[in-house]
Amino acid sequence: MNFKILHFVTLAFSTLVILQASLGVLLFTRLVGFTPHDVNLYYGDKSFHGLLEVILPHTLFIAIALMAVLHFLAFIQNIDPRTKKKAVYFLFPLFFLDQFSPLLITLGLEFFAVIKIIAFIGFQGTLFWVWILIFRQTLKLTK
Amino acid sequence: MKFLASKKLSDNSVMRSIIIGMLLSLILAMVLSMTAKGIDYGVSPKEWSATVLGNEAEFIDPMSFNDLLLGIHTDLFALILTFILIASVYARMGRSRVVMIGFLTLSLLSLLTYPIGMLFSSMIGSVGVTLSLGGFIVFHLLMIMGGLDSLIGLLRKKF
Repeated sequence: MNFKILHFVTLAFSTLVILQASLGVLLFTRLVGFTPHDVNLYYGDKSFHGLLEVILPHTLFIAIALMAVLHFLAFIQNIDPRTKKKAVYFLFPLFFLDQFSPLLITLGLEFFAVIKIIAFIGFQGTLFWVWILIFRQTLKLTK
Repeated sequence: MKFLASKKLSDNSVMRSIIIGMLLSLILAMVLSMTAKGIDYGVSPKEWSATVLGNEAEFIDPMSFNDLLLGIHTDLFALILTFILIASVYARMGRSRVVMIGFLTLSLLSLLTYPIGMLFSSMIGSVGVTLSLGGFIVFHLLMIMGGLDSLIGLLRKKF
């Protein structure tokens, strides 16, 4: 395939993924907020069913999305396997903490508001780092 | 994805059946997605504009920015995954370079136009909504066509 076109396709796809992650951050900022007080206020009022409506689609889709993203990383030869493992060991626990902290907040464990914020920022940051790794290597390979 | 594209599928009947099932489900999902959007937003640019931007003459309130963001976020997630799956199978079809490049470029451009048009509709008005509708329809049609093409190729054991 023409390398210029491949660059364009890579750029367009990364724009899409970054746009999607930015929308998630924007939604979190507008609906929830980034202080422990905001997080406790938002999730404290939610019912178990209300939380399930958010957790269920996220668990399903993010599991598939992480598999899709990480399998690209797994097949790139010139990235150190320890870096690949680091990405996996960070992403999945952060994802679980991010998704399941609200359940513990509704049970009265307000400390998990801090964990939720750290896990959310950590998850988005790590995912962004993984995409940069993938696209940097892809562009290097096509040069 | 690479495990879909790394082996000759006609030699592996189990993988072939799985991908046929997946393609059928994805094509159905694309048809249902268009139907659901048609019911929620309407089928013409005018109806989409009225739903997103509101219409004073018909006493329709504009959609709140949070609802708009949530809608785009949910749609985009499903559409990106659909694109990854269909494009990875379509890449094995052995179509000419021009067709492959055209398919990938048009799909990605239309998929980008959909959320960007929606997000900027408050600034550029109904033009943004119309662009968004165009992107949404073109992307869905491309995915259905690419999915059907791959499905026929798989059924005929062409790859």
